Amino acid sequence: MDTDMDVDVPMQDVATTTTTTQLLSDDEEHSITPTSQETTSKIIDLSRTKSSVPLNLNDSNINQLDAWIEKLSNCEFLSEDDVERLCKMAVDVIQFEENVKPIQVPVTICGDIHGQFHDLMELFKIGGPCPDNNYLFMGDYVDRGYYSVETVSFLVAMKIRYPNRITILRGNHESRQITQVYRFYDECLRKYGSANVWKMFTDLFDYFPITALVDNKIFCLHGGLSPMIETIDQVRELDRIQEVPHEGPMCDLLWSDPDDRGGWGISPRGAGFTFGQDISEQFNHTNGLDLIARAHQLVMDGYSWSHPNNVVTIFSAPNYCYRCGNQAAIMEVDENHNKQFLQYDPSVRPGAPTVSRKTPDYFL
Amino acid sequence: METAATTTNGADTASASNDIYPLALLMDELKHDDVSTRVDAMKKLDKIALALGPQRTRDELIPFLVEVAQDDEDEVFAVLAEELGQFVPFVGGAEFAPILLPPLEILASTEETLVREKAVDSLNIIAKDLSDQLLLENFIPLIERLANADWFSSKVSACGLFKSVIYRVQDDNLRKDLFQLYYHLDQDDTPMVRRAVGKNLPTLVDLLVENADLSTNQDWEFISNIFQNIINDNQDSVKFLGVDCLISIAKFFNAKNDQTHSQELLNSAIKLINDEAWRVRYMAADRFEELTKQFSNNPNHLNELIEPFLNLCDDNEGDVRKAISKQIPGFAKLINNQTIVLTKILPIIQNLSMDEMEDVRSSLALKVNDIAEVLTKDQAIEHLLPILLNMLRDECPEVRLNIISNLKIINDVIGIELLSESLLPAITELAKDGNWRVRLAIIEYIPILAKQLGVEFFDHQLSELCLSWLWDTVYSVRDAAVNNLSKLTEIFGSDWCRDEIIPKLLKMDPQLLKNFIYRFTLLSTLTALCKVVSPKVIASEILPFIVNLSTDSVPNIRFNVAKSYPIIIETLREDEDKTDYTPLITTTIDPSLQKLCEDDDVDVKYFANESLEKCKKLLAV
Repeated sequence: MDTDMDVDVPMQDVATTTTTTQLLSDDEEHSITPTSQETTSKIIDLSRTKSSVPLNLNDSNINQLDAWIEKLSNCEFLSEDDVERLCKMAVDVIQFEENVKPIQVPVTICGDIHGQFHDLMELFKIGGPCPDNNYLFMGDYVDRGYYSVETVSFLVAMKIRYPNRITILRGNHESRQITQVYRFYDECLRKYGSANVWKMFTDLFDYFPITALVDNKIFCLHGGLSPMIETIDQVRELDRIQEVPHEGPMCDLLWSDPDDRGGWGISPRGAGFTFGQDISEQFNHTNGLDLIARAHQLVMDGYSWSHPNNVVTIFSAPNYCYRCGNQAAIMEVDENHNKQFLQYDPSVRPGAPTVSRKTPDYFL
Repeated sequence: METAATTTNGADTASASNDIYPLALLMDELKHDDVSTRVDAMKKLDKIALALGPQRTRDELIPFLVEVAQDDEDEVFAVLAEELGQFVPFVGGAEFAPILLPPLEILASTEETLVREKAVDSLNIIAKDLSDQLLLENFIPLIERLANADWFSSKVSACGLFKSVIYRVQDDNLRKDLFQLYYHLDQDDTPMVRRAVGKNLPTLVDLLVENADLSTNQDWEFISNIFQNIINDNQDSVKFLGVDCLISIAKFFNAKNDQTHSQELLNSAIKLINDEAWRVRYMAADRFEELTKQFSNNPNHLNELIEPFLNLCDDNEGDVRKAISKQIPGFAKLINNQTIVLTKILPIIQNLSMDEMEDVRSSLALKVNDIAEVLTKDQAIEHLLPILLNMLRDECPEVRLNIISNLKIINDVIGIELLSESLLPAITELAKDGNWRVRLAIIEYIPILAKQLGVEFFDHQLSELCLSWLWDTVYSVRDAAVNNLSKLTEIFGSDWCRDEIIPKLLKMDPQLLKNFIYRFTLLSTLTALCKVVSPKVIASEILPFIVNLSTDSVPNIRFNVAKSYPIIIETLREDEDKTDYTPLITTTIDPSLQKLCEDDDVDVKYFANESLEKCKKLLAV
């Protein structure tokens, strides 16, 4: 398998290296408050403000969303108040989605973005704009890149505006713990002067669906399989509205990787497992699937098949971390289940010269 | 005066305070703390002068402005200097114009270049209105005062004023004195003054070309000395002005058919071309065609310029190579010797086409096609085409664009058939490049090519290619292909689109259309073409197809059909033949849109309702 391991710091290390903040909160549900108490007290608690009925789009919130999308597509981030409104609206869309979100074909399936906002815009140039094309993103919108705030705000705004045209799953980076180590927390602090926006987004992440099922044939998720999950129905029974746990089926779905070795193995990441071809074949057979589509690992060509054709890895952040030199890819699935991979390179970076250097006027 | 003002204004209550008002207001505003207010006030100067009338403008406004010109900011001076250039009518015509000279003289002596330049421009404008008498009595003494001032700024301004007087002085002695004064300025210690002398000399010489019988040998002695000083100056920034001076001087003698100075001038030219300072070489390279044209009546002289030319092409300074690259075809035409072109010039083009600097290659690409004009068809095919084919594969898109933009000349020399055999494969190759941005770039050049090559050639060679881009895997390429087809329809016309493009679109491979992406592209294409084809074509060809797509299984297609309807209705209603398409709209679009408004998909419903509103508005008009 020609995949390079995206070796995130293992979960236990996170807990031990981050001493200043109270990271592990098994006893108290999402009580991580790295900033002072008075700032956190003013921001919303999504679990209290959420509605019992899905968000109803009307002219006024459509106009609001279109204005936000316009602003965000220029890579300008929203004000803190607008992020609050955005997250409030988002929770009333996303909380009603199923753990296994059913998706119709045609759809374009995408992998990790990691705050590489301009490459996300490049993705839409390749695949076509949303809502004209339908998209399924398999998590990891934040961390590592410089524009996590803009990236996740844009995708969430699109999700609210066109809930039937775009689906955003949860990745292992959509978590309080990981975002504090891999920049999203710092980026929020730098751009907003407080952790409020980080708090709102990480609260919202708890509601993201964890898997999707394209036309009952392609099972999509961020990481991989779990030894505790044999059927898709078992995923439907999970309580997903929580911080990504350190172990158990929900953790595995977001953390596991396919491996050349058969059976289950211990993951070098410190969370999830590795699973062999036998596991994938069995799972696809049991659930009547064609394919498992997942992200989570850097692959140099942007996509990579494993376990012959049982699992495909899709990675949509070109030149990952602005230095890996990899291509990115997306997978188009048309209405007849034909699959086509589109590979692409990094967008022209902002500030980088797009035209040849002009000679200075020496004779002024 | 006062009665005249009141009657023309028709205001019978005109009082003294009203008459004072404009000037008082201006004075007030010119004392404002904020510079921008003072600048705005100064911009209204012409209106104030108009309100005051000529008499009071001369008596009150101008003296006031002389004061202002000595005590304000440069921004205000700049506006004042410019305004005064238009002031001759406001002071009562040419006979009163000298009153405008004192404030401008002050402004022409300021330290700020911008103010001085505007003052000099205005002085030159006013000089045109002055009679010879007034010029002699007022303008020439002003030049003399500026030229003999202590400070360099006044002297620089003086250099810019000679052009208004030289050709109007009939007295040989006075003209000689003026040239002597100019020569005196040329010996100034400050390079700024010498630079001004060099910059203005070509204009002065050109005026002598126009008035060929005016100048005497005495004048030319001074001119020759000034020129020699310039090209031997120790400052590069003065020396490089010698190139333009040389061109003007050579033009003068060519106009007189006087060849006695030809060899001397050629030596000076070669000296400048080979100068050790790259800025001088750059200037020579930049003006090379114009420069060598002055020696074109003597083939031996032209031959002497070949070596220096090749040196410039091989210069170690990129900017020099960039400048000379544009001049190559022009020089080749002057040489008009196929052996030299083939043995010396084409090899140097070959080198430049692979230059390490993309600016050089792109500059070469701008004109290199013109070289075909001095070659026979066979020579062009054998020697030039390979170079052009290589340049079409240059990694820099600007190089490729420059070559493609000028293909018409090549076409005229080698003929359309050969062009299609050799260059089109290169274009086709680029059109299939693995990098989608390269494909995109080529599509954007297609309308330029289409214009140059004509409809017949296009239909044979390029129309299939243009259609094939619609089925590219990358959305941006498909989108560009859609735009390309509407641009081509703008060039070739609605009938062309109806006959050549639409039938092919409507007979698309059904296999391909099983993928909604290509149905979407087809829908986008037809919608885009609605804006450029005639309503008849829309009604008979396009609309039925689009209505058919309104029941597509994919919601994305259905809501894009809904989005297309207002665009179609808008074009149908703009029909010049005044055909009433309302029945067609009510029997086709209306029911289809009503149905889409009831669609199960929320997005289809939303866009259908939005379109319904738009359509209602359009039909209500």
